[in-house]
Amino acid sequence: MIYIIDHQDSFTHNVVHQFENFDNVVCDNYNQINNDKLNRSNVIVLSPGPGSPKNYPISSSIYKKFKGKKKIIGICLGFQQILYCEKGKIIEQKKIYHGYQSKIKVTSDNSLFKKNRKFNVGRYHSLKLKEPFAAKNFEITMRCAISNTAMAIENNKEKIYGFQFHPESFLTENGNLLIKKILSA
Amino acid sequence: MNKNNYLINLNNSKKPFIIYKSNNGFDLYTDFSKKIILTNKNIENFINQNTKLKSKNKETDIFIGFFGYEILNNLIGVKVKKQKGLKFSKGIFYKPETKVKLPNKLNYKNLEIVKFNKSFKINISKASYKIIFDKFKKKIKSGETYQIKICTKYSNKAQIDALDFFCRLVKTNMAPEAFMIKDKDYSIISCSPENLINKKNNFITTKPIAGTLKKTKKLNKTKALAFFRKNLKETKEHNMIVDMERSDLSKICKVGTVKILRKKIVEEYKDLYHYVSLIGGRLKNNVSSIDIIKAMMPGGSVIGCPKISTLNLLNNQEKENRNIYTGSFGYFKFNGDMRFNIIIRSILNYKDRSEISVASGVVIDSNAKHEFNENYIKGKALMDLYK
Repeated sequence: MIYIIDHQDSFTHNVVHQFENFDNVVCDNYNQINNDKLNRSNVIVLSPGPGSPKNYPISSSIYKKFKGKKKIIGICLGFQQILYCEKGKIIEQKKIYHGYQSKIKVTSDNSLFKKNRKFNVGRYHSLKLKEPFAAKNFEITMRCAISNTAMAIENNKEKIYGFQFHPESFLTENGNLLIKKILSA
Repeated sequence: MNKNNYLINLNNSKKPFIIYKSNNGFDLYTDFSKKIILTNKNIENFINQNTKLKSKNKETDIFIGFFGYEILNNLIGVKVKKQKGLKFSKGIFYKPETKVKLPNKLNYKNLEIVKFNKSFKINISKASYKIIFDKFKKKIKSGETYQIKICTKYSNKAQIDALDFFCRLVKTNMAPEAFMIKDKDYSIISCSPENLINKKNNFITTKPIAGTLKKTKKLNKTKALAFFRKNLKETKEHNMIVDMERSDLSKICKVGTVKILRKKIVEEYKDLYHYVSLIGGRLKNNVSSIDIIKAMMPGGSVIGCPKISTLNLLNNQEKENRNIYTGSFGYFKFNGDMRFNIIIRSILNYKDRSEISVASGVVIDSNAKHEFNENYIKGKALMDLYK
């Protein structure tokens, strides 16, 4: 079962439907967490949402508690939440991407995805990861083809994955395939 | 008696009635046997009861009426602080006993009894608009909202003949979701173009509009489409709304059934081109009417995105009640089908005052002066009716 933590976003149910293609999904609001269901889940998904990771301390503590024990996937804010918990700095960017389709590139040999592959994705973010960023077992594996902003992280050892873009957006090509690969990793 | 005379007599009789745009004309509803005034207490019960009523097949087996903005916020757990305003009803629904089909051409004129002050007053000056605009822009940069619509309100002292206004309005601004309500103590006139919910059996669609272009001689539909496609701001606003409406539908629809049926097309109206998408899905088996209302309302395209945090930002900012504006008008059929629009481009007349609210979007690359003027243009078509 996949447990999705909803940070009250208007895209969360697209995420729910996307994951339901592969497994049973339970989705709860971040301030109404059902610990029983959370404990029973195999995968935790941190949803997109407004604001910045520091606004969601409950999600941070869930991440820290289950890191290495369950697969954790973060999308947009959820991606930033993971980085924030790994001591990354999340900052405002000059150019803001809300409802923006742009090209990204797989930049790492260690990614589940083929290096140098480019594809279009949907983006909704005003914040980004400040670099350089380094955390044990984590690697930035995708970047914006133009600005080089970090677009995905993978920690294949502890099974932690994050996307700054929205795999569930209609603007993203092959979003389902992306999720399928992460879930079967 | 022909239909037009029927309408005129009905208007003269002071009996309440409602007119709603249909496919090939208008539907007129009257002889109301029930009138339900909505409160936070009775709303859930009212919505759920509709589909449990016995008779189901008559054309008058419906409740028709409106939800105001505030009650729709409260329904999804969003609070609205105490605001100034007309103290108008939060929502009213009627059970009609008579339905009459009317043609598109409505012939009725009454220019005598319009009484009004010369000019409309706006509730937010250009300078204060700029301050709000800049504040919201900061909220976009910090990620609290991705898109937010600032509402301004024009109001005036006026006594009007609502039917006369409606007939003139649809002559120049025919819209697929146009409607009017005339009751003893208030009236509403609207040329809303936007359908929020169209539910038949277990199939539901929504048709958000994001992007409007005024017609000129040089433009045609193809050029309008090219304009929208090239315009990055319009494209981004529209994309956001499409993903948001997909998500709202996904709350109540079966997995894999939510589809964009028409993606980013241009629809042509008398004076405008609209950039429109149509999104639909198949409802889950156990979904009730109240689930549908809560999932879809208030309609996201006129609020901004994401819905909850944007509503909270708006409600902390706005000092005056929106009343009907960005609420929803439409009907519940007793068989469970429903049709609802988003109340925009509308006039509320209550206590001898007319209110016209308008809004336009703040995204990161919009400009305060442009949006303020855009608001004025949107309101002007309605204010011109008072001339």
